[in-house]
Amino acid sequence: MFANVTLSLLEGFLGTLKLFILTLLLSLPLGLLISFGSMNKNPIVRLPIRFIIWVVRGTPLMLQLLIIFYGPGIFFGMNFWGSGDTGRFTAALVAFVINYACYFSEIFRGGIQSIPKGQYEAAAVLGLTKGQTFFKIVLLQVVKRIVPPISNEVITLVKDTSLARVIAFYEIIWEGERFIKSAGIIWPLFYTGAFYLVFSGVLTLLFGYIEKKLDYFK
Amino acid sequence: MAILEVKDLKKSFDNQEILKGISFEMEKGQTLSILGSSGSGKTTLLRCLNFLETPDAGTISVNGNLLFDGAVGHEKGVDLREKRLHFGMVFQQFNLFPQYTALENVTLAPKLEANGKSDEEIIELGKELLVKMGLEDRMNNYPHQLSGGQQQRVAIARALALKPDILCFDEPTSALDPELTGEVLKVIKELADQHTTMIIVTHEIGFARDVSDEIIFMDNGVIADKGTPSQLIDNPSNERTRQFLANYLK
Ligand SMILES: Nc1ncnc2c1ncn2[C@@H]1O[C@H](COP(=O)(O)OP(=O)(O)OP(=O)(O)O)[C@@H](O)[C@H]1O
Ligand SMILES: [Mg+2]
Repeated sequence: MFANVTLSLLEGFLGTLKLFILTLLLSLPLGLLISFGSMNKNPIVRLPIRFIIWVVRGTPLMLQLLIIFYGPGIFFGMNFWGSGDTGRFTAALVAFVINYACYFSEIFRGGIQSIPKGQYEAAAVLGLTKGQTFFKIVLLQVVKRIVPPISNEVITLVKDTSLARVIAFYEIIWEGERFIKSAGIIWPLFYTGAFYLVFSGVLTLLFGYIEKKLDYFK
Repeated sequence: MAILEVKDLKKSFDNQEILKGISFEMEKGQTLSILGSSGSGKTTLLRCLNFLETPDAGTISVNGNLLFDGAVGHEKGVDLREKRLHFGMVFQQFNLFPQYTALENVTLAPKLEANGKSDEEIIELGKELLVKMGLEDRMNNYPHQLSGGQQQRVAIARALALKPDILCFDEPTSALDPELTGEVLKVIKELADQHTTMIIVTHEIGFARDVSDEIIFMDNGVIADKGTPSQLIDNPSNERTRQFLANYLK
């Protein structure tokens, strides 16, 4: 029984993992782009982006999932996401990517803006180009500063994936809950917690390792 | 011919004129110190020379080449970067790059400049400069492992590595504990003895007297007084200079 449940839950966990990995892969670069937009000197670029960030960070992710999944059908009468699991997955991914990109963008912005002006000026008087200044001087210092907050967000993301259940996205809690109806047992649902714990434990170790690697400078 | 010729340089911030027409010349191999009370525009002048600020008016020429003309402004891009390399800058706060060792800080820009030199040559030159700064056993340390005085000497080596025509210092010892200023002033003095062309903004009047060929006294955005150390410090004739020195001696 235990082995069976474990196998089933692992299958559900694959759904969790897929959403987690794709969200990270897409929202990190998108977040960097958004952070550049939110620091743009031109208010026509900056202000709408800041507005979007405010809306996305100021409303629950669960609500965003519902609006993105059901919104097109309700407001425009179209079946935008298609039917079936692929549609649900895509909708969930879009909601997660937008949400996390906005959070990451604020972390990136904080990191970039925390680099002292003197670093840019020293690079400028040494004749470095803007590109060289960003890639050779600024980037690694930013990375060092943002690893801890990014690590927090990433671990939150592991747990947030469970929210996708509201649009019936198949993941581990869904799988755990299934046993209540099919076999009348509740412990598999509680057992899902162990998967989250192990996974976030691994991530904590990984980020700790990266932090340590960047410890050689201050 | 003068190595540097500055004519009628003006710069305003927020409609307030900070440099009100600065003109001076200096010869190759000379050390020029700039004194003046806080807010008189000394840093702004150095920043204009290094093009960290764009002057509103006036001209800057190096070796007879017009680098900047306020009537035209700056052209963007490569050109500005090349012009900038005529000047080196040593900042009050050192501004070393924390993720690079002392040696890497010195060699980074020359390597990126890549004007035909091999990396080995550049590293050799970098080591030579650090030895000259008395840092032979600190080359592979990161900035946070160095004292303020050592960091500032790395910053001087870093600026020298690009062989600027004129090396500028903005209060190079102001951020240092008093017991560390000596080691930095000593290497600057050595550079002066080797006829490095330098402009030094400083509040160390005794040092300026020892090291300078000429001293400029700035007051409120203008050059109020100018002369050799003995003229300007030992026998000041200008009333403002006298006041400034009297305040300093108190
Ligand atoms: N970027 C700026 N924007 C606005 N005002 C500025 C700027 N930079 C300098 N100023 C003003 O210009 C004036 C001269 O400043 P500057 O830093 O050149 O003086 P300083 O002679 O170097 O003084 P100190 O001895 O304190 O370093 C000051 O009143 C300062 O507030
Ligand atoms: Mg100053």
